[in-house]
Amino acid sequence: MNLSRIRVITRKEWLDMRKNKMVLGMMFLLPLVMVAMILGTAAAFRYAPEQVSDPLVPDGTPGLPPALAEMDTEDRTLALLNDQYMFYLLIIPVSLPVYIASYSIIGEKETRSLEPILATPISTSELLIGKILGAVLPAIVAAWVSYLLTAVGIYFLASRPVFLYLIRPIWTIGMLIHSPLFALISGAGGVIASSRVNDPRAAQQISALLLVPLIGASLLVLMGRVYLDTSTLLWVTPIIIALNAGILWLTVRIFQRETILTRWR
Amino acid sequence: MIRAKGLSKRFGDNLAVDDVSLEVRQGEVFGFLGPNGAGKTTTVRMLTTLVAPTGGTAWVNGHQIGSADAQVRASVGLLTEAPGLYPRLTAVENLGIYAELHGVEDVPGQVRRYLTLLELWDRRDEPVGGFSKGMQQKLAIARALLHEPPALFLDEPTAALDPEAARVVRDFVDELRGEGRTIFLCTHNLDEADRLCDRVAVIRQRLIRVDTPANLRHGLYGRSVRVRLAKMTPALEDIVAALPFVRSVTPLESGLRVALDEPETHNPDLVRALVAAGAAVQYLEEEAHSLEQVYFDLMAESREAAA
Ligand SMILES: Nc1ncnc2c1ncn2[C@@H]1O[C@H](COP(=O)(O)OP(=O)(O)OP(=O)(O)O)[C@@H](O)[C@H]1O
Ligand SMILES: [Mg+2]
Repeated sequence: MNLSRIRVITRKEWLDMRKNKMVLGMMFLLPLVMVAMILGTAAAFRYAPEQVSDPLVPDGTPGLPPALAEMDTEDRTLALLNDQYMFYLLIIPVSLPVYIASYSIIGEKETRSLEPILATPISTSELLIGKILGAVLPAIVAAWVSYLLTAVGIYFLASRPVFLYLIRPIWTIGMLIHSPLFALISGAGGVIASSRVNDPRAAQQISALLLVPLIGASLLVLMGRVYLDTSTLLWVTPIIIALNAGILWLTVRIFQRETILTRWR
Repeated sequence: MIRAKGLSKRFGDNLAVDDVSLEVRQGEVFGFLGPNGAGKTTTVRMLTTLVAPTGGTAWVNGHQIGSADAQVRASVGLLTEAPGLYPRLTAVENLGIYAELHGVEDVPGQVRRYLTLLELWDRRDEPVGGFSKGMQQKLAIARALLHEPPALFLDEPTAALDPEAARVVRDFVDELRGEGRTIFLCTHNLDEADRLCDRVAVIRQRLIRVDTPANLRHGLYGRSVRVRLAKMTPALEDIVAALPFVRSVTPLESGLRVALDEPETHNPDLVRALVAAGAAVQYLEEEAHSLEQVYFDLMAESREAAA
């Protein structure tokens, strides 16, 4: 494994991305929409509370965690909405890498630029890792920046208990450590999916399947069926790490030099 | 230096390359001719370790494919069928990536050297998508040379180009001769092979013939000269046919076609005999067979052999 060759590939991906309006647009638009939605909701709660709908979870609901039980119903509704929105923020690390990776590989198929690259001393794992990192790192940065903007916005727009509930360890750790792990799964998934199809949209649709469990989980949280706390991380983390190991192993395994050359076209 | 021994590649039921053995010397420009689907690209891909042979083996610059692939790739440059440049990136960026992947020591210096050689230095910061096809092709060849490989593989470097662009690229390849590099040139273009190659191989799944273009012509047709006479008479034909070094004589409208092994030695005797017989020799020239003729005849031969 030669780090400098991986770096060359990653840098090439970014040079190319810099000039790709579709990818660049998506990279800025997605976080922007997500953060605007979250802060817009908080602003509505603050400036037009009469417009806000019924409480999601009324006072005295059994099984409420203390942090939620102590809030007034309005704050509790906002806190639960925020919890759901945090899942939407996870859409950034989950869907951006797929998007970027599928554009990258399908672009390489169109220009037929993989064959000359494969004729250099680079190994296939170096090539794949360079590509996956090229798609994953910008998504991680986008996710972190979005979380930071959200936290700052909520600090100013909502009450202190709502803010503290938002930045409790599950989300801070989740965003710091888990969103990169999600991004890796997504990047590798994008590489695998785009090697099979020739249209970025098709690749993205296949990879969008990754979003289904995420959205399902977010709904459970919103309905108050599941309350997320630090202990949740204890069982979620090993699953995500196992998924990562599995998909990276699969990626490197199915892409032999000859497979890339004859299938990626 | 390239040495292949029984190199074969089977895709499912399709035997794309069958038992190819050949040796290309250091510094030689070696042409690889064959019709569509003959297995040229597949052979190049095997020799550059992009696909694994299903039979046989090869050594490239002393490294065996299959066991020292990274060393083989470090010692070859490959121009693929499509140039495969990154259209959104500039000329400098396109070359820089490859120089770095090859671990070239002075990346900016080497990139500059080749861009200057291609007269592209002034356009170094433009996206290459806007370059003409000929320039793109030259840039792709330069990209294969940045690490100064002892062997260069060119897969149909002029096939997709208009005649003018093709000439630009051909001249560039011509300039690369004599730098001591081995050049393996796949082509459909027989004039190109004639002009650039020291030896050519004709392939159709199997290797049909390998030789210098001149020897291929002579091997297939023997050598012959055309004598143009002011006045042709049947008697002259008999006189020439009786000469000991003449293999055969064909009367032409205004002269004779004479087949003989060594025109350099025997032409003077031939002319003397004709003059002695009263003929007025206007001129005499070696009969030229184009490589194209050679190629089509070899193809026809191989089709017959297969049938
Ligand atoms: N990846 C592959 N899978 C299956 N068959 C292949 C593959 N690559 C090449 N072939 C087959 O192998 C044969 C030789 O193909 P190849 O591309 O080597 O020919 P070529 O001489 O380069 O032809 P052309 O002049 O058209 O470039 C063809 O019949 C082709 O269909
Ligand atoms: Mg070919």
